[in-house]
Parts: sequence; C-alpha cells; structure tokens
Amino acid sequence: MNHDPYSWGRPSDSMYGEYNREIANAPTSMEQHTSSSNFNEHTTRPIVTGTSVVAIKYKTGVVIAADNLASYGSLLRFQGVERLHKVGKTTVVGISGDISDMQYLVKVLDQLSMDNNYDNDEYSDNVDELQPSYIFEYLSNLMYHRRSKMNPLWNALVVSGVDSKTGEPFLQYVNLLGVKYASPSIATGFGAHLAVPLLRRLADSEEQAAELTLEEAKKGIRDSMRVLFYRDTRSSKNYSLAIIDKDAGITYDNNVDVEDMSWKFAKDIKGYGTQKV
Amino acid sequence: MTGLSFDNHQRNQHLQSQHNVSFKTTSTGTTIVGIKFDNGVVIAADTRSTQGPIVADKNCEKLHRMAPKIWCAGAGTAADTEAVTQLIGSKLELQQLYTKREPRVVSSLQMLKQHLFKHQGHLGAYLIVAGVDPTGAHLFSVQAHGSTDVGYYQSLGSGSLAAMAVLESEYKMNMTKDEAIKLASDAIEAGIWNDLGSGSNVDVCVMEIGKDAQLLRNYRTPNVREVKEKSYKFARGTTGILRTEVIAEYEIDTSV
Amino acid sequence: MMTGQHGSQPIQHQFNPYSDNGGTLLGIAGEDFAILASDTRQSVDYSINTRLSHKIKAISPSLTAEFKAQNPKMIGTKNSILFGTNGFSADGDALTRQFEENWKWYVHDQNKSAMSMQSAARNVQHLLYGKRFFPYYVHTIICGLDEEGKGCLYSFDPVGSYEREQCRVGGAGASLIMPFLDNQVNFKNQYIPGTNSTERRKVDYLSLDECLKLVKDAFTSVTERHITVGDGLEIFIIDKNGVRCEYHDLKKD
Repeated sequence: MNHDPYSWGRPSDSMYGEYNREIANAPTSMEQHTSSSNFNEHTTRPIVTGTSVVAIKYKTGVVIAADNLASYGSLLRFQGVERLHKVGKTTVVGISGDISDMQYLVKVLDQLSMDNNYDNDEYSDNVDELQPSYIFEYLSNLMYHRRSKMNPLWNALVVSGVDSKTGEPFLQYVNLLGVKYASPSIATGFGAHLAVPLLRRLADSEEQAAELTLEEAKKGIRDSMRVLFYRDTRSSKNYSLAIIDKDAGITYDNNVDVEDMSWKFAKDIKGYGTQKV
Repeated sequence: MTGLSFDNHQRNQHLQSQHNVSFKTTSTGTTIVGIKFDNGVVIAADTRSTQGPIVADKNCEKLHRMAPKIWCAGAGTAADTEAVTQLIGSKLELQQLYTKREPRVVSSLQMLKQHLFKHQGHLGAYLIVAGVDPTGAHLFSVQAHGSTDVGYYQSLGSGSLAAMAVLESEYKMNMTKDEAIKLASDAIEAGIWNDLGSGSNVDVCVMEIGKDAQLLRNYRTPNVREVKEKSYKFARGTTGILRTEVIAEYEIDTSV
Repeated sequence: MMTGQHGSQPIQHQFNPYSDNGGTLLGIAGEDFAILASDTRQSVDYSINTRLSHKIKAISPSLTAEFKAQNPKMIGTKNSILFGTNGFSADGDALTRQFEENWKWYVHDQNKSAMSMQSAARNVQHLLYGKRFFPYYVHTIICGLDEEGKGCLYSFDPVGSYEREQCRVGGAGASLIMPFLDNQVNFKNQYIPGTNSTERRKVDYLSLDECLKLVKDAFTSVTERHITVGDGLEIFIIDKNGVRCEYHDLKKD
C-alpha cells in the first residue's frame, strides 16, 4: 500500500486507467430510502492522520509500536496521541490513518470488551475471554462492511496479541478496503516500505519468527522506529511500545524515544554538488 | 539536426486525447545504491527490468560507464538512463582529450544536471553518479528534473526505501572496501526481496582511489531458477510443413 | 480527483473500493481427479503484503474419526469443493465465506452429505451476479468430482458468467500460462508427426503426476516473468480418496 494516507483507496491511474465512478456513485438500496441528495456525505479523505504502525512476532508473543503524533496535513498538530489500544487482556490494536475514525473504533472496541465482561465475569459458568482472533474477525468484518457501503473507516489496523488458551502469538492486518492478511512482521503506511524490509531480515517466515527472542524483536522494532523517524516526515521521536507475551501479559510503555541517532556527518556535507564551503 | 526531434509531439498528443493509445517505456523499476568508504566509493544495482507487471529482462545491466573511473547507476526510463549516460560519457572523453586531464566526477554531475534540467523532467533518468578523480572519491545523485544531492550513501528507484532502511541502520563512517561492498549488496538485496519492481541479481562497481575501477557483474546471484520438472521438446513434425517454395537466386548487377 | 466545479454543487472526491492483490490461480480437471493451485503471495502496488496467504479453501463435510485415522494427510473427503478466488482479496475472502455459508445451509436443509459441483457452480453464479453493479472483483475457479466421479472444474468471471472446462488459469499470470496449458493439456497446435498438419494430436486425459509437473513448471515460469507472482505454491488435489494439499517454495524476489 502507498505510504501516503491521502492516496489510500484511490485508483492508481497509471496501472488501471481512470476509475469508472459511475459504478461507485450508484446508490445502495438503503441510501435510496434515506437520502434525498444525490451525493453521500461520507469520509472521502482523512483529515487528522497518524502514520505507521509496526509489529513483529517472536517466540512467545508480539512486539508492536506506533508513534504518538497526529498530523493535520503537513502540520505536526497533536503530540501525545496514543495509537496503540489495549482490548481485553491479551490484545493490542495499532491504528494508523484518520484519527477521528480511530477514536470511533476505540469507542466500538471499548463497548465490545465491556459487553464481553458482563457475560464473562467471575460468576459465569464458562468464561470466554476476548481473543485477538475474535477482535480481528470483528474489525475486519466492520472494515469490509463499511467499504462496501462506500463509507469507509479511513484506517489501516494491526491486531496483535497472544491467544490466552493456546499461547499462540497473533498478528494480522486489515485496512479501509477490507483487505486482510497475516504475516510474521507487519507495518502500515510508510512502515510497509521502510520497516518491513528490516523486520523480514529477522523473520521472513513463521518458522523463523518462532525462533526469535524478545530482545531481537525489540531491537528490530527500535531500529525500524529510528529509520522511520529519519525518513518519514510525518513521524515523531516519541512513540508507544507494547509487548504482548504469553507469560508476562501486556507490557505497555507510552513514552519511548528514538535513540542512538547519528546526525554527525551532516556537518561535513556542503551544498548539493560542487560547493566546497 | 542535433538534439531531440519534437516533430511528432502534436500528433502524439492528438492520438492520446482522441484514441485509447499510450506510449509505454521500459522502466528499470529498480533498486540502486551508492556508498562512500575509506578509500573510494562503491555503487550497486539489481538486474530486473520491467514493462508494467511483466519482467522484460531478468539480468539487465544498470551500471553504466561514463569514464574509466566514473560510473553511474540508473533508475527510471531505461532508454533515458542509457542515452544520457552515453552522451555525457562521450562529452567527458572529448573534454579529456582537449584538456589532457582526467575527467572529474563534478564535471559529469554538472553536465548531467544541466542536460536534464534543460529537458524539464521529460527525460526520466534518475542516476547515482560515483567515481574517483584527482580530487578524490565522490558520490552524487541526480533526479530527472535536474536537482542533485550529495551524501555518504544514496539510494534511488522503486526499491530505494527498502535499500535506504538498510543503509540508515547499518552505515558507519570510514568503512573498508569489503564492508562497503557487503552493505551495498545487502541494501540491494532488501530491494530485491521486498520491492516487486526489483529482482534477480546484484551488480557492483568499486572505484578505489589509485586503482582501476572494478565492475563485479552478478556479484551475488540469489535467484537462480530451479530446473524444470519436464522437458518440452516436441517430436519433429509436430508442426507440419504445409507448403514449400523455392525462390530462385537472382544476380544483381551493381556495376555502372 | 473532482467532479462538479460550481459553487452550488459539492466537490466530490472519489473513494476507490477496489485494489489489485496480484497472484495467479490455476485448475486442471483430470479423468478421476482435479487440482487447484495458487501462489501464496499477496501484494499491492509494488509491495508484498505477505508471503503466505491462502487463496484456496477446501470446503468439506466434517471428517469422521475413522477417516482421519485412515487418511492422516487428507484435509477433506471426496465430496469436498475446492474454492479458489483471485483478484481483489477482500472480495475473494467475502465470496468464499458466503459460499461456505450457503454450502452449510444447503447440506443441512436438504439433509445431504454434500453439494454437487453443478449446484455449487450455479450458486456461485448467483452470488456473483447478485452484485452485478458493484461486482466482486475476482476470478473464481472451483474444483471437485462430478456425480460420475470425474474430475470437474468450473470457472467464473467477476459477474458470474461460468463454464465447465478442462483447465483454466485466472489472475495476473493468466495470459502467460493459459496458452501453455492450451498446448500441453488440450494439445492445441500439435499435429501427429508425418501427417503434415492434417491430423491433430488426439486429446487424452493426463495422469495426476503429469498434471502436477505442468502446474509446477507453469508456476515457476510465471514467477520468473510476472512481478506479482511468487513466494510459495499451494496445490490442492481432490480424488476418490479425498483432498490433500502440497506446498512448494517459489522464488521470493
């Protein structure tokens, strides 16, 4: 996927020719009843956006990170916006793309876990905790449903966690089109171009991910976040990092900084060609 | 008549607006990098060339020689990178004969950017220029519109982000030649594995101060095709001969 | 992208509900077996989403303990349907799920053990045509055994036009592989040597082994020449014993 949220869900003309918008403009049966206007007032572009989410599986869990910045176009508008969300006891959902749609999703997820808690408190006969796979199933259906109504939630989501019954690490992706996939390492937006190549060097298959230690995985994520801060103009130094481990549960730090940067050689670079001083 | 001919421009514009035709170019949807080291500079490239989603050439050469010790890695429109590189290469040689001095990397850079700027981005050449000359080792990049960039490491092409991720996490100052070759190859490999526009092999060119430039063609070959399950030789006669005709040979008298 | 410029009309930006997720899907029906194969790469633009996605699902009646004990490597019975989609993966997943749902209700309501290939094909047509004006952007191929136990394959276009065929390729590599299969499976453009293009080579069923070789060569070849095909190859085989699945690595560049 293109790294720029503004181009998400838009056709690449060079490859397919211009998109036939007649198809998309046809009203659905429901809209014919409810809307008198020819135009639907739906999200057609993101406004305040969050950039990459990066994650990798390791032997006994998943490490996931996203920076704490919400951008308004090229303006770095809000610092301290957390984009990693705990759902249930063993799941963390990372969200990039439109922030208002993210906040709606968080509301939905909160309601989901609240409903689950009512049905599964200590007095219940059969406690069925929310598993990452349940949450992913819910979210992927929601995303595909909304895209099919031509009213997408302009986000790319990463659902990470461990299954509390089997201890199996879980990592899956879904975006505004409802396209979903699983992989040992996943990143959204710019991260798909910059972080994934680094993470795939650590684990390119499930077998390799099952051999990866927590320290190696953490280093991979730290390196990725540093490279993203170097190269993604919509990223910030300050980020959140979550580790979901089958034994230790969720470890969440919302205040990590990119470290070990080197900008030293910049002073030796003069101009853009032949300049000497 | 020198330079490019624009005779067909108006006709082409008309064809594209009136009919459903487009003019496709072979793009080297590419990963290329350049890295400075201790005593020189190294450039590297993958070897896949594409036309849309189809692989046009599995082992093409994207490393071009402009002068014996000035080499260029090219991304973008294949024809443009080759043409522009050859053009500046021959200018460089004429200049060398005229001035009786070794060509300099900055000269080639200046000529490239002026040529590309003149054509306002219509020549889709994205180049990493590197070489050694009497003033030392140099590494630059040039964009199609004529802007240039200096740095200790550069990457360009559709796989440039994958390559740059590796460069940003592993580059260090004052590497040895071997370290630089390894890092350059690793960066290209990141492009080969992660970018669909890049693939096949790694080509490397090392330019060390005081030594001849060294082209390491197919320095790494991580994508050798496995043997096929089956042979597809047809029995002779599977395609029949429907008709044979013998054309008599005529002698043409060319004398006046 | 905008339509409508005047003040009274709102500016409309366009949302494109589709993407191309690459890959190739290939099916061959033999005399008493059928195979359905696909690569496991899922991509978008120039990026690889994952090297291991599953574009084919074996939809099978539940396996008895006895069956499992006798056939530990089988993942379905001979009454299974191999369901493969290629194109826009979100639609492919949705279509597969819809069909599976229909399949389950059908066997339940009709008190049958499975659905015939004929009925399955007609149902897929209805699913696809039901979204005629907002199509599932996928090429669908289903494989199984027909009521006589013969290998059976149906292929569908995105809006539900379908046909029973001997072999079919869908997706990115279709134009590269289909001519090869025409020549190697249906012996198109092959004549009997010595007859000077007067007598065509007779079409005959290929053995399973021969078909598997063709499938592997087709996929290694298309991996060489198409950028969205690669990473891995999943081959599902259905015959009178049941369904099994083979995996082979493909090049990852």
